[in-house]
Amino acid sequence: MSHPLEPRIAAYIAAQMPDATDVAVRDLSRISGGASRETYRFVGSWTQGGQARERKLILRRDPPASLIDTERRIEFEAYRAFHGTSVPAPEMLWLEEGDGPLDHPFFIAEEIAGFQAGPGLLWAEPYLGTHAKLAERKWTILGEIAKADPVANGLAEVMPAVAAGDCWNRELTYWEDVLDADEAEPLPIIRAAIRWLRANPPPPAQKVGVVHGDYRTGNFLYDTGGEIHGVLDWEMAHLGDPLEDLGWSLNPIWSFGRGLAGGLVPQDQAVAIWERSSGLVADPAALHWWILFNCVKGQAIWVSSARAWLDGGNREPIMVYPAWAMTNAQDRAALQVMGRL
Amino acid sequence: MIPSVPAVLMDLAGKVAANAAPSVNPVDRASALGLSAMLMGLAAESWDSAAHHLVMENRAFRALLAKGAAYAPPPAEHAEDDFRLSALAAENGRLRAALITLQTAVEGRDAAINDAIWAELRASTERRKTQGSAV
Repeated sequence: MSHPLEPRIAAYIAAQMPDATDVAVRDLSRISGGASRETYRFVGSWTQGGQARERKLILRRDPPASLIDTERRIEFEAYRAFHGTSVPAPEMLWLEEGDGPLDHPFFIAEEIAGFQAGPGLLWAEPYLGTHAKLAERKWTILGEIAKADPVANGLAEVMPAVAAGDCWNRELTYWEDVLDADEAEPLPIIRAAIRWLRANPPPPAQKVGVVHGDYRTGNFLYDTGGEIHGVLDWEMAHLGDPLEDLGWSLNPIWSFGRGLAGGLVPQDQAVAIWERSSGLVADPAALHWWILFNCVKGQAIWVSSARAWLDGGNREPIMVYPAWAMTNAQDRAALQVMGRL
Repeated sequence: MIPSVPAVLMDLAGKVAANAAPSVNPVDRASALGLSAMLMGLAAESWDSAAHHLVMENRAFRALLAKGAAYAPPPAEHAEDDFRLSALAAENGRLRAALITLQTAVEGRDAAINDAIWAELRASTERRKTQGSAV
């Protein structure tokens, strides 16, 4: 059965490729997850210069209401900035910010096919022996993101600037405001964490760099040899303290119950890889601040997904799942980081 | 659990019924039903103990609030005579808000009460912990 989106996507692509004929879309399937964007894979085919061509592609479309409110242009530009560099990222093809073609804004990108993203597979064969190498690649790539120059790669032009001394306050204020607006029940553990964070601010950032914003096991494409082929989900990318990304990757919620950083290696090993790659220092006290901050940020995201469902803006089951499965675990993560668990 | 279990199950019931129609595209059906099944599993896991946990938590919070009355006046007494989950959860929210006020007041001033609050918050997360919890 053909999906009703297929002819509409084909019409859009045809309009972007005036030299192409016989543009068609087939094999559209939805990729599960994707609470902030609806993600579909499909095959696009066309004729150009007398030759038949086809390409595996990805469509990322805004839902009616999202788990996180983000600027899709910034996400698009972040992918573009890193595509072709030492940070593997898929090629972006078209960004559509209007509602006309597919009811909501979207972008189309190449699919990096043949690899896995879901963390669940990593805890069984044939992946058990790859954890050390995967961790080496994971935090090396994160170090490369930290090392990138946002002026040179153009992202300083599209991402709001921030002073090195204000990175922590801007991020904490943003996510505290999200909690204030969206929480459906009071959160004593997270509010206590916020009070501690405000009373014990970290030092200014060593550099203001590109922060991916959601760099964790589950947001990159890996293979059975421990290699990473694509870093995904750049929708929260911004300029800030690179320790923020390291802290998110070390949020205990991403240990998947295994007691290891990202479920892969001990935390000190992950930090050492990142320091070697980025050329930056992860001061233990500053990193502790950013890990706890990321527990607050995580809870704000889970709370927002519940809010989107409660307000009726998005009744997809994926909006309930983080609220039910992650809220208590995130509270426990915050307790653990604060030494209370 | 927020959104509430009955509200979510009602919504899922509608989704399951709608996805039974033969005209639904398999791509959309698979996406909707797979996650619906996961949510039903989480609801089933929490259902039996939900009221018990809320009653225990509310009683523990009231005791802490009474203990810290010198720092923050406890909320008005509320008769424990409505054991519907919606009523228990509403009372839980009221007590949690008061607990935040109390903990803010005792931090750096009364270590004993502060430690007792932390102990109950830790116990609360143990009660709410689900199988497969990441932490």
